[in-house]
Amino acid sequence: MKKWLVVLLALSFSMPALGLAEDKPKEFVVYADKNAKDNHFIPSGWMGDYGDIKMDDQAADNPHTGTTSIKFVYSAKKLQNQGWAGVYWQNPANNWGNKKGGFDLTGMTKLTFWAKGAKGGEVILKIMVGGIKGTYPDSSAIEIGPIELTDTWKQYTVNLAGKDLTYINGGFGWTTTVDLNPEGATFYIDDIKFEADPSLKPETKKQETMPFYVYSDRSSTKNHFIPSGWMGDYGDIKYEGATKEDPYLGDSCIKITYNGKKAQGAGWAGIFWQNPANNWGNVDAGFDLSKTTSFTFWAKGAKGGERIEEFKVGGIMGEFSDSDSAVIGPVILNKEWTKYTIDLKGKDMSYVIGGFCWSTNVDNNPEGATFYLDELKYE
Amino acid sequence: MSPLSLRGHFSLVWRTVPILLLAICFLAAAPRGRPKVFIKKLKNNHYQLIVEHKPYIIKGVCYNPIPISQNYEYDWWSDPNKPWIVDGKLMKDMGINTIRLYQVDGDSDAVKRVIRDLYKNYGIRTILGSWLGFWEYPCPFYGDKKFQNKVKKEVLEMVSLYKDEPGVLMWVLGNENNYSCLGTVNPWSSDEIDKEPDPQKQKAMRAKIYYSFVNDLTREIHKIDSDHPVALGNGELVGLEFANKYARDVDLVACIIYRGKTFGNLFRSLKLTFDKPILVSEFGADCYDAYLKKEDQNMQAFFLESQWRQIYENLAGNKDGAGNCLGGTIFEWTDEWWKHDQSNPDSWSVHDTTSNWSNGSYYFDIKAEGNKNMNEEWFGIVALSQDLEQGINKRVPRKAYYVVREFWKKPILNNKRNKK
Repeated sequence: MKKWLVVLLALSFSMPALGLAEDKPKEFVVYADKNAKDNHFIPSGWMGDYGDIKMDDQAADNPHTGTTSIKFVYSAKKLQNQGWAGVYWQNPANNWGNKKGGFDLTGMTKLTFWAKGAKGGEVILKIMVGGIKGTYPDSSAIEIGPIELTDTWKQYTVNLAGKDLTYINGGFGWTTTVDLNPEGATFYIDDIKFEADPSLKPETKKQETMPFYVYSDRSSTKNHFIPSGWMGDYGDIKYEGATKEDPYLGDSCIKITYNGKKAQGAGWAGIFWQNPANNWGNVDAGFDLSKTTSFTFWAKGAKGGERIEEFKVGGIMGEFSDSDSAVIGPVILNKEWTKYTIDLKGKDMSYVIGGFCWSTNVDNNPEGATFYLDELKYE
Repeated sequence: MSPLSLRGHFSLVWRTVPILLLAICFLAAAPRGRPKVFIKKLKNNHYQLIVEHKPYIIKGVCYNPIPISQNYEYDWWSDPNKPWIVDGKLMKDMGINTIRLYQVDGDSDAVKRVIRDLYKNYGIRTILGSWLGFWEYPCPFYGDKKFQNKVKKEVLEMVSLYKDEPGVLMWVLGNENNYSCLGTVNPWSSDEIDKEPDPQKQKAMRAKIYYSFVNDLTREIHKIDSDHPVALGNGELVGLEFANKYARDVDLVACIIYRGKTFGNLFRSLKLTFDKPILVSEFGADCYDAYLKKEDQNMQAFFLESQWRQIYENLAGNKDGAGNCLGGTIFEWTDEWWKHDQSNPDSWSVHDTTSNWSNGSYYFDIKAEGNKNMNEEWFGIVALSQDLEQGINKRVPRKAYYVVREFWKKPILNNKRNKK
């Protein structure tokens, strides 16, 4: 009798468990249609040049499914003088990590969404899942991009397998820049959802193929790394990533003006190109550039004679340090475009978050320095 | 003496002399025995330090036992309380077998006493170094023959004085003097260099002068002391491509590396740049969290254990490593309370918590104001107490002392951990 009781008890306990296992949600919707009951997260986190963004979350012109999609018009007017803009879907609305919210999305292995451009060719710099910091930070930060949209609906996937999704407040987000869309961009997004796909494996970092550009042209999707790591007297630097003043190749190049006024009292300044932006080794990201043997770039001074103390690749040190670094300098720039090479033979470039860097100082440029860079690439 | 016996005597001499001459010739021609300390290149191109016929891993500390309220001018060698006796016992208990002294000054008998006491009582060997005039005022002029001769005289005097001490392990020439070739620390120049307009060529000219000078010193040391290797002290791997051209005679490099939890590609990079064995002669972590503004012994212990693991992974015989590391000397044994405000004697009695510099590799407290997270007075793996014990500041081992001790007892390397 007792044995039967044990078996019955065991069965009675296991049945609900089995039932629960079967009830595990297969998807978690961010946006299906304007008034869909199972929508989660609010597109409240407008960033950068937020004045450049117009959103219609019930655009009825040709949705992917249902009756509506979300239409964004990005004017690229730089109304807040940032040069970039984006939107985060948050829970609750406007939660930048200052209050508890978010969802436990454990079990989900990917986020999918559909998108298209009004004309095709519109470029989204990044699609983000998680990554909101603050007192209650998201448990993960995942990004993909850049994405060049087509004029027809296309599905995109963010692999989340193996990621810690126990707390996600920033359910979905996108950013783009003026440089990538100088004339602005109109695009549509629909059917954003998390999905549980047990067959999906965690993404391993792939070895990037060469050449691998840091900068090709202002709107190029080949560009990687963001010139976000301003150092020293950052107030002395003016950065123009899309000047048309005599580029070496293509339609644009980078112009940097260093005025040497010691705005922060350091006496030197520089910029690191990072992945993702502002990553000083605190985010596990970057690229595997193991196949590279050299980094090449073209540079020239406005007058000639400008002295750059260092041109460097790698070398960011933090919790997640660059695997190696290499440097040339000091370099005295010519007035004509000149090619420079940083030899990377024998270097371990398997983990690079600091894609490129320059630095100079007021001692060697008492009047400041204006210089140009173009075709920055690993080969 | 009868003529007969005289003849017999001559006969004996004639028979003995050739044998003696042969013996003398044989002895003269016979190869000299192995040096007491040398570096062996193994068949797999790994490097191994051999001390008195046995492999030797340098498990060391940088040693400068300045008491609270004193500064770097304090002559601790002549301290009647002999701090090295207490320290030596603690070091031996931890597993330390080597101390590194940056430079020896003053009474040579006092220095010899320290070296002998540590060696005889605890089996601890001593690395002796020279700043090569780097901190003299005005800044060093390695291009000036007079300056070179002065430094050379000092170095050779040091070698002559201490080379026969059984406790001496090796010589280290310079520390981070290579940075002066870049002009970033103690810059120097010469008329010839000043004439060169290209700053990269200027850098190369300075490096050629400096590394050639170190090479010259090395050769001179080898002439008078074949029993101890000579190391080129160097900040990071900066400039070693020039050392590869101009300092080929050094036996090893002794590098200062502050890269946080990882040495990164250091060992393999060295192999490609300048294929010499390496002693990581200055590394470590401070134990003050400049962000939370409190002592954090866990942080220091975390970094040091990780650093030692990588040192062990790159010793000879580890097939997954570069095989060119001979060990390391942690910076440092005890805290030094004088360092933050060196010119203010009142501050030498205060354990300053103001940070002097920033290093993102030590990321626990990088969010400190101005990102200044490195606390120069808090690098000791042994804290100093203001209480006196046996006439010296009481020694209080920190967590890192115990963590590294346990690691040395049973080194578990990452590749082995991953296989589990």
